[in-house]
Amino acid sequence: MDKTEFYQRLAEILDVEEVKPENVLKDFDGWDSLAILSVLAMADAKYGVSIKAEEIRSVVTAEDLARLVEAKRK
Amino acid sequence: MNFTFRRKRISGVLVVVPANERSFVTDMKNFNFPQSRSLKLKEVMGFDKRRVVGPGVCVSDLAVFGLEHLLERGWLKRDEIDALIVITQTPDYIIPGTSCIVHGRLGLKRDMLSLSISQACTGFLIGLIQAFALLEQESIKKVVLVNSDVLSRKVSPQDRNIYPLIGDACSITVLERDTEDSVIHANVRVDGSRASALIIPAGGMRQPHTPKTAKLENVGDGNLRAKDHLFMDGAAIFNFVQTEMPPLIESLFAHAGTSMDSVDYFLCHQPNRFMLEKLADKVKIPRAKMPNNMVGHFGNNSGATIPTVMSFNLGERLLREKLHVCLAGFGAGLTWAAMLLNLGKFNFNTIIEYK
Repeated sequence: MDKTEFYQRLAEILDVEEVKPENVLKDFDGWDSLAILSVLAMADAKYGVSIKAEEIRSVVTAEDLARLVEAKRK
Repeated sequence: MNFTFRRKRISGVLVVVPANERSFVTDMKNFNFPQSRSLKLKEVMGFDKRRVVGPGVCVSDLAVFGLEHLLERGWLKRDEIDALIVITQTPDYIIPGTSCIVHGRLGLKRDMLSLSISQACTGFLIGLIQAFALLEQESIKKVVLVNSDVLSRKVSPQDRNIYPLIGDACSITVLERDTEDSVIHANVRVDGSRASALIIPAGGMRQPHTPKTAKLENVGDGNLRAKDHLFMDGAAIFNFVQTEMPPLIESLFAHAGTSMDSVDYFLCHQPNRFMLEKLADKVKIPRAKMPNNMVGHFGNNSGATIPTVMSFNLGERLLREKLHVCLAGFGAGLTWAAMLLNLGKFNFNTIIEYK
C-alpha cells in the first residue's frame, strides 16, 4: 500500500493540505461522522477492505488508521 | 429466504407528501458543527429540501387523505378493498393498529382483512410480499398497501446524524392479480442481533416514556438527542448496506435466473445520495440505473421511499409502458430485501400534497 497516497486521500476527506502520520485524527475539525463514512467508503473502494465503525473509532493517529487498512489487506 | 409469486401485479401507486417544506441550509444553523462541514455534508449526501408534517399530524391522517383522493377519482372503489395493510413504526396509537384506525375513518366494509405491521425502510418490500401472499386467497382480489411514517416527530433537531435527512410521507399501493403470466422473485433477510443500530430506545414497554427520556442529552459526537428520539449509527448502517446488499442482490438474480443487464432500473430505499452511489459501484451497475435524487427533494421518508422514487422519476413512463425493475430496501431490524418484477401500465402513479 502506498502510504503517501493514503495520507493524501485522508487529507482530501478532512479538507486539509496535508496529513502527517503522527497527526491525531480527533484534532482535525473535519473529523466528524461524514469523515468516518468517507474513510469507510475510501477503504472499501480503493483498498478493497471493509472496516467496522467501532474499529475506526478506536484509532488515534493517521498512522494507526493506515496500519488498520494495511492489516486488513493481508 | 427466496420467494416466488405468479400472476400478481401492482396496479397503481399514489404518494402523499406534506406541503410543508424544510431546507437544510436553514436547519444546519441548529447543529453544533462548523457551517463549512455541514455544507460539505449537504454536497456529499445530496441533502437539500425535505417534506415534514405539521404539529400533531399522524400516519392515519396522511393515509385517509390519500385513500379519499383515490376513491373520489374512482381509481379505487370502497367495496373492492379486500385487505388493508398499514406498515408504520410511528403508529397513531399503541393499541389498536393503525390499519383499524384508517378502516374506521374511511368506513370500509367489515368483511375484509386489516393488518398492521411494524417495519420501516424495508417495509415496502415486506408489504409487497405480504400482499402477494394474500392474493393467493380466492376471496382476496384487491389489496391496499399503505407505507407511512411521521419520523420527523421522533428526531432531535440538534442531531446532525439524522435530522437533516428525515422526511414524512405516505405511499398507497394497490395490488391485484395479473392476467399475464408474470413471475416475481424476492429475497428477504434479517439480523436482529444488530437491532440497536437503528432504534428509538424509549416509548415502548422496555423503557416507557418519562420526562427523563424526553430530555436532550449530549451524546458526545457534537449531537444532542433524547431517549425518545430515533438513534442511527450511521457508520454501522453504511457498512451494513455495503456488505449485505450486494450478496443479497446477487442471490436474487441467481434465484430468478436472469442477469442484471436485463433490468431497466434499480429502485432502492433512499437514505442519501452517497450511500446509493457507493452501492451502485459495489454492485457494478451504472449509477444512472439507480436513481438517488429523492433525499434532496422529499427527505428519506422511511417505507415510502421506493414508491416516491418510482413516482418522482418514472411517473409518466410507468403509466404508459412496462419496465423490468429491481426493488431494494434495507433498514431497521436490521432487515434487508430485494425484489425483481415487471412494473408499469399503472392506473395511477402520482404524488399529491397534504395540506
